[in-house]
Amino acid sequence: MRILLVEDDTLLGDGLQAGLAQSGFTVDWVRDGEAAVAALAAEGFAALVLDLGLPKRDGLSVLRWLRERRDATPVLILTARDRVEDKVQGLDLGADDYVLKPFDLDEVAARLRALVRRAHGRPEPLLTLGTIELNPAARTVTCGGQGVELTGREFDLLHVLMQNAERVLTRRALEEQLYSWNDAVDSNALEVHIHHLRRKLGSEFIRTVRGVGYMATVQPAGA
Amino acid sequence: MSTPPGYSLRHRLVWLLTGALAAIWLFAALIAYQRAHHEADEMLDTQLMQLAETLLAIVEGGDVKDFVKELHENGHAHTVPIAFEVWRERHHRMQRLVVSAGHSGFAAEIHAGFSEIAHRGERWRVYAVTGKDAEYRVVVGHAHAARERLAREIGFSVLAPGAVALPLMAFAVWWGVGRSLRPVDAAAREVAALDPQQLAPLDERAPLPSEIAPLRSALNALIGRVNAAFESERRFTADAAHELRTPLAALKVQAQVALRAQDDAGRQRALTQVTAGVDRMTHLVEQLLTLARVDPANAHPAATFVDPAETVATVCAELLPLARQHDQTLEAELAAGCRIAVNPGWLSIAVRNLVDNALRYAGAHARIVVSVVRVADDGPGVPADERARLTARFVRGESDSEGCGLGLSIVARIAALSHARLALGEGLPRADGGHGLAISLHFPSAG
Repeated sequence: MRILLVEDDTLLGDGLQAGLAQSGFTVDWVRDGEAAVAALAAEGFAALVLDLGLPKRDGLSVLRWLRERRDATPVLILTARDRVEDKVQGLDLGADDYVLKPFDLDEVAARLRALVRRAHGRPEPLLTLGTIELNPAARTVTCGGQGVELTGREFDLLHVLMQNAERVLTRRALEEQLYSWNDAVDSNALEVHIHHLRRKLGSEFIRTVRGVGYMATVQPAGA
Repeated sequence: MSTPPGYSLRHRLVWLLTGALAAIWLFAALIAYQRAHHEADEMLDTQLMQLAETLLAIVEGGDVKDFVKELHENGHAHTVPIAFEVWRERHHRMQRLVVSAGHSGFAAEIHAGFSEIAHRGERWRVYAVTGKDAEYRVVVGHAHAARERLAREIGFSVLAPGAVALPLMAFAVWWGVGRSLRPVDAAAREVAALDPQQLAPLDERAPLPSEIAPLRSALNALIGRVNAAFESERRFTADAAHELRTPLAALKVQAQVALRAQDDAGRQRALTQVTAGVDRMTHLVEQLLTLARVDPANAHPAATFVDPAETVATVCAELLPLARQHDQTLEAELAAGCRIAVNPGWLSIAVRNLVDNALRYAGAHARIVVSVVRVADDGPGVPADERARLTARFVRGESDSEGCGLGLSIVARIAALSHARLALGEGLPRADGGHGLAISLHFPSAG
């Protein structure tokens, strides 16, 4: 899952980027409000981790801007302010969750997963598609009850596809979700990962929609 | 409640007013007494004159015997006993014709008009009148003591109402003063009831005499300033606690990254970041302590005059290695010989913070020129409208990610307590035509 981290503190931003990457997120990190707005305007993210005290444009202003353009990206706010009014204001402006500094890395990761899950309309933590079951928290996948070994990238790709089951995802949308700005992307890397997934889980559940992209489905091909 | 040394406005007013009233009353009474006395004198003189004229008319009419008899019977009706005598001139000699009862006759011949004579050991006021052809002469007189008694009685009768009025006036003064001072008591009770934890200004709309209203306004202004200071301290404590949370969060996250790292390189990197985080927190705590130590009580240690050039030189020497690390040029342009009155420790802290800020924000390869007491750089500079904001606590420059946002606040506080002026302006020119930032401290006696 690709998330945007907006944090002006160098040490904290660096730690969050490294820590969330350890938890399986693809993290893009910007340090001020203007850069956050530019990034959000250009690309889609599974979630936004937003600090409130930011240079150039403060976090609440970024949040307001995001909600005004009807962008429903889940937002997790990081803040040092613990007054109830601060929390209420943040939540009223459209934040989905709130974490008070200093926080636990695992908790932030779990909350982010929950936010993304709910954003896709799923109350339960496990993703299922036919016989395939994906656990985002444990980053494990089973197929017909059997554990399947996947690389990080393969897991992320499968995760995105299963979150959007029965919908066609363009190559660009998939790449946006998988790679941060720092990742060098091979032109056919996506095809390679799709190929590996089909080999490990069965070829019929990822359908290629020619000229458009890919779709995870349990529908028979002819339907 | 013990009364502090001072005086009671009420007592003073009562005494002053009563005293003044009594003095005025006494003066007025004296004049009234004298006037009454004088009036009584005039009245008695008129009486003498009238009696003399009447007697003369009767004597010249020839009914002397009857009149004298009648006068004997009624003469005592007068308040002041009257003595009279009638003289007649015969053959160029004056001869006493009639003398009033009980009167032995004045010794000497008395000339016309009023005169004062001594008669049998007493002073008398007498009036003599001579008839036409100077045949008859009438002399009437009062004993002075009797006249005096009457005049005094009349005088005292004028004073009597005043004697009753004086105590009444004193009471009225006491009551009036007490009533007028009631708002003062009420204001004192209101002030006494103020809660020091929650200072609320006194109600400005409540009616108050114009003499006390300025006191209330001044008190309210003071309450306002005290509240602002309280609020500022409260906010500062809250801000400080919040400012500690971010570096703590960074430390915790980096520590967790280190714990979860699969490879040595990742762990090493995270642990290095933990160390950096601890350094940064140390800096923040030290700056907070510095801010707390800049106590108004130490603003002007007795007769300490410092040559700021020495302080600037020392600070520059200490920070030179740091400048070299960043590949920056640190220059000092110092003219010795000026003396300013300031806490030397504070001056050192202020200069260090200013130079440290310049090194931090001017960027690599920047040139920083320090003079007395001005720190200028050719870094990115700060727009004029944002300069004022920089001195607020926990406000960091745009490019800052390491500082704690307290450096300039400390300098500003030292400046305020040392009566110096902190000014932010354009610094050294840059190659691209812009200017860096210059911060200067103007001490009052700096030459």
